[in-house]
Amino acid sequence: MITIKDLKKSFRTEEVETLAINGVNLHVEEGEFVAIMGPSGCGKSTLLNIIGMLDNPTEGSYNFANHEVAGLKESQRTQLRKGNLGFVFQSFNLIDELTVYENVELPLIYLKMGKSERKQKVMQVLERMKIAHREKHFPQQLSGGQQQRVAISRAVVTNPKLILADEPTGNLDSKNGIEVMNLLTELNQEGTTIVMVTHSDRDSHYAHRIINLFDGQIVTESKNREIGAMV
Amino acid sequence: MFKNYFKVAWRNLVKNKGYSIINIGGLALGMAVTLIIGLWMYDELTRDSYYANKDKIAQVYQSQTFNGRTGTNPAIPLPLEPALRDGYADNFEHLMMASWTQDSYIKYKDNSISRSGNYMQPMASELLNLDILKGEKNGLREINSIMLSASTANALFGKEDPIGKVVKIGNEYDLNVTAVYKDIPYNNSFNDTNYIIPWDNYVANREWIKNSLDNWGNNSFQLFVQLTENADMETVSETIRNVKKDLNEDTAEFNPQLFLLPMEDWYLRSNFENGKQVGGRIKYVWLFGIIGAFVLLLACINFMNLSTARSEKRAKEVGIRKSIGSQKGQLIYQFLSESFLVVLFAYALAIGIVLLSLNGFNELARKEIEFPWGNGSFWLISIIFIIFTALLAGSYPALYLSSFKPVDVLKGTFKSGKYAGLPRKILVVLQFTVSVAFIIGTVIVMQQINHAKNRPIGYDREGLIQIPTWSADFEDKTDLMREQFLASGAAIAMTTSSSPTTQIWSNRSGFTWEGKPEGFQEDFAWTEVSPEYANTLNLKIVQGRDFNKDIASDSLGILINETAVKYMGVENPVGMVIRDTDEEDPGPSRKIIGVVEDMIAQSPYEAVKQAWYVYDRNNNFSFYTLRLNPRQSANQSIAVVERVFKDNFPAIPFQYDFVDDKYAEKFAAEQRIGTLSGIFTALAILISCLGLFGLTSFVAEQRTKEIGVRKVLGASVFNVWNMLSKDFLKLVVISCFIAVPIAYYVMNGWLQEYPYRVILKWWIFALAMLGAMGVTVLTVSFQAIRAAKQNPIKSLRTE
Repeated sequence: MITIKDLKKSFRTEEVETLAINGVNLHVEEGEFVAIMGPSGCGKSTLLNIIGMLDNPTEGSYNFANHEVAGLKESQRTQLRKGNLGFVFQSFNLIDELTVYENVELPLIYLKMGKSERKQKVMQVLERMKIAHREKHFPQQLSGGQQQRVAISRAVVTNPKLILADEPTGNLDSKNGIEVMNLLTELNQEGTTIVMVTHSDRDSHYAHRIINLFDGQIVTESKNREIGAMV
Repeated sequence: MFKNYFKVAWRNLVKNKGYSIINIGGLALGMAVTLIIGLWMYDELTRDSYYANKDKIAQVYQSQTFNGRTGTNPAIPLPLEPALRDGYADNFEHLMMASWTQDSYIKYKDNSISRSGNYMQPMASELLNLDILKGEKNGLREINSIMLSASTANALFGKEDPIGKVVKIGNEYDLNVTAVYKDIPYNNSFNDTNYIIPWDNYVANREWIKNSLDNWGNNSFQLFVQLTENADMETVSETIRNVKKDLNEDTAEFNPQLFLLPMEDWYLRSNFENGKQVGGRIKYVWLFGIIGAFVLLLACINFMNLSTARSEKRAKEVGIRKSIGSQKGQLIYQFLSESFLVVLFAYALAIGIVLLSLNGFNELARKEIEFPWGNGSFWLISIIFIIFTALLAGSYPALYLSSFKPVDVLKGTFKSGKYAGLPRKILVVLQFTVSVAFIIGTVIVMQQINHAKNRPIGYDREGLIQIPTWSADFEDKTDLMREQFLASGAAIAMTTSSSPTTQIWSNRSGFTWEGKPEGFQEDFAWTEVSPEYANTLNLKIVQGRDFNKDIASDSLGILINETAVKYMGVENPVGMVIRDTDEEDPGPSRKIIGVVEDMIAQSPYEAVKQAWYVYDRNNNFSFYTLRLNPRQSANQSIAVVERVFKDNFPAIPFQYDFVDDKYAEKFAAEQRIGTLSGIFTALAILISCLGLFGLTSFVAEQRTKEIGVRKVLGASVFNVWNMLSKDFLKLVVISCFIAVPIAYYVMNGWLQEYPYRVILKWWIFALAMLGAMGVTVLTVSFQAIRAAKQNPIKSLRTE
């Protein structure tokens, strides 16, 4: 599903050029669950943003589902992202002015889906995430765990091929964190590919494969024998 | 999709109440100003829309050149009408002679009223598009007929049928009421024509008019035309250009040029300078149009600034929307929908403000504007106006906000760039440039009015009243009336005059005197007065002496003003003989017996005209002017004057005006413009300050942490206030330096139109700048001091 070759990303300020990603090669199969780890500033999030098509690489190629992404314009990336990708962020990133229902509904609106179909899908996913009873609440009225469940609902409501999660349990206590990881695992078992950035060893063990980044390069790659061994 | 946009927009508005109030309130205020100016402009531009043939109606104007100066006005000589009728008939559907609009007493039985109206030729019904309610359309056929407006008929006859009844005009002639026409509506020419009497009656009853029938030199009449369907205004105007010059040799030396002034130009473009049409009221229409546009711009700038200043708060939303599939275009739509919503609310509020202030505005602007609820085009224009404003106010924030990169925002590394605030600063500078220019403009308009008001007027107008005497009844009663008024103790002096004190109704030429330069084309303001004129007005005699009733030869005497002395180029005018140069029917020679100080009878903004005050030998007066007894109250005196008047003229309504009020009317136009621009300036400043207030609160909020750290490190409230205020003050100072030269240029140009004008002084500009800075400091300080006084621990904890 994802093939990345010799990927580089540099940031330039007035005085210095920083190489955040320095020649990364990576292949992710459909249905895989990959965790990216590494110390702060090693380029994890930058890599995830490029995979999520929120950012363009400076050099190298990135092939997503047989589409070359590197060098696409923002509008083309948006088009490719729509419906194919779902995001889960550490800080949930829900729109404060929209209710739970409306937040989850938003990606479907952008897909120009009809109202009744939208309603059906949103309710389905909210029920599955056990948050349907809160559909009329605003994000600030929910706990962190609940907010993240809404964020995951929003990420999966379009049935994306790939979910990108950036430290999804970073702002949660351990109980809620485990709940979120179980949800992601469930989704993965149903066939959704997941790429997750994490600092947590525990979370990384939910993945099939762990990639360690250091100074913008992949230093080690290891496979988890027993999925969910730590649960 | 749009529902979602509006939902978010609405919740944003409700959530940020302070911001919404500033934004919607400011915009509503700006829109209300623009709306009210728009209604005023519409009223001005649609004048005369009552006339179905508006584009075919014109008035004949004449330009003549005296001593190299060309003057233009609508006064034409009588023989012109038959000349055009005979030689150019093909071009005209109607040609209509008319008198000047004049007040007359109309009496039916014991009921006497005073109304303004005209003598006109019979085609008036057609040309003026009269809507005949009773009687015959052709109501001016008979020489002794009169047509009345419905309101006049009602005032005279009440419920009685006026048709066929006899009324007396000026207590002199009996006239038959032949028709009643619907009043010509407000905002149309001839709106003050409340009666129409046949032109032939005008001619038949006045010797001087009969004598003018073949006199090309007496320009005392008006001629209106309606062109035929196929005739072209400009072509016909060109065709008649030299008619007078070609037909009359005597006046050819003044190079008389005739032309047609179309009805659409009467009200808005009737000013002429040296023979050239130079606009008129239209310039105020555009001036206010520009003010309206600027005030709207100021309000839109607030919207832009406040929206973009809040960008960091909205950035997260933009990032999320983009990451879950929103295109940039969709975000632009979203933010435009928000601005549309805000503008819609603001417009509704603006209509409320307009409705509340329309009466006051009408009073101030002397208008009868009504809110056009039922006017389809108004609502259509409103929709366009709303969309336009939404685009103007919303486009920049929409483009700015939608361009955020999701990756920066979501990572939390988003910071507005170093120059992100620059457009905002430019907009603030623009706002204050406009505001400061408005302040300077208003101050100068006010100064000019005061300058003219304080100008020495040449006579004492305190306690002077004038009473119109437009009836033959007054003839030969002057001495008796004076005696009675003085004996009553209500007045201490009384004079008569052919023009009111504050105007010149007659100008004359055709005289010669010893030493008159060869080829000199003289032109004098001509007022016939009783011998008590100078004494009643407290007009100072600077050479020679005043009229003396006991000296028989004074009945052929003249007083001239100081300007006339210079104009005539003579050193010792007293005793000089003035001869009439009319060869066929010369008037008597007259002698200058004295020189009086210049008195302002025309525009207080212009130089005083050379004037002659001629001893009235033939009862040619139109006014009594009385100086009330200063030892008793004006009200008391007037009651007595009225009683004396009524005793002698029971059938004539008692009317009077204070000369002081009449003089004040000369400033009315400028005063109105001054007051209106003062109000609009105040609103412009208020709107700008509202924006600044909002902006300061955001800056203070953004810099909360910085302020906290600074305070922990020892900064005082003053230091913090200084830090926050300085940035804004800098912008206002820049604005001042841009506004001053622009305002100087524009206002200097405006003042050039007034020969008697105030000199622009540097302190006006300095004062305006200081004012703007003062207002800025006050506005900014409120928020800055609040931020500075906060407990630093609190602000650091919230970070």
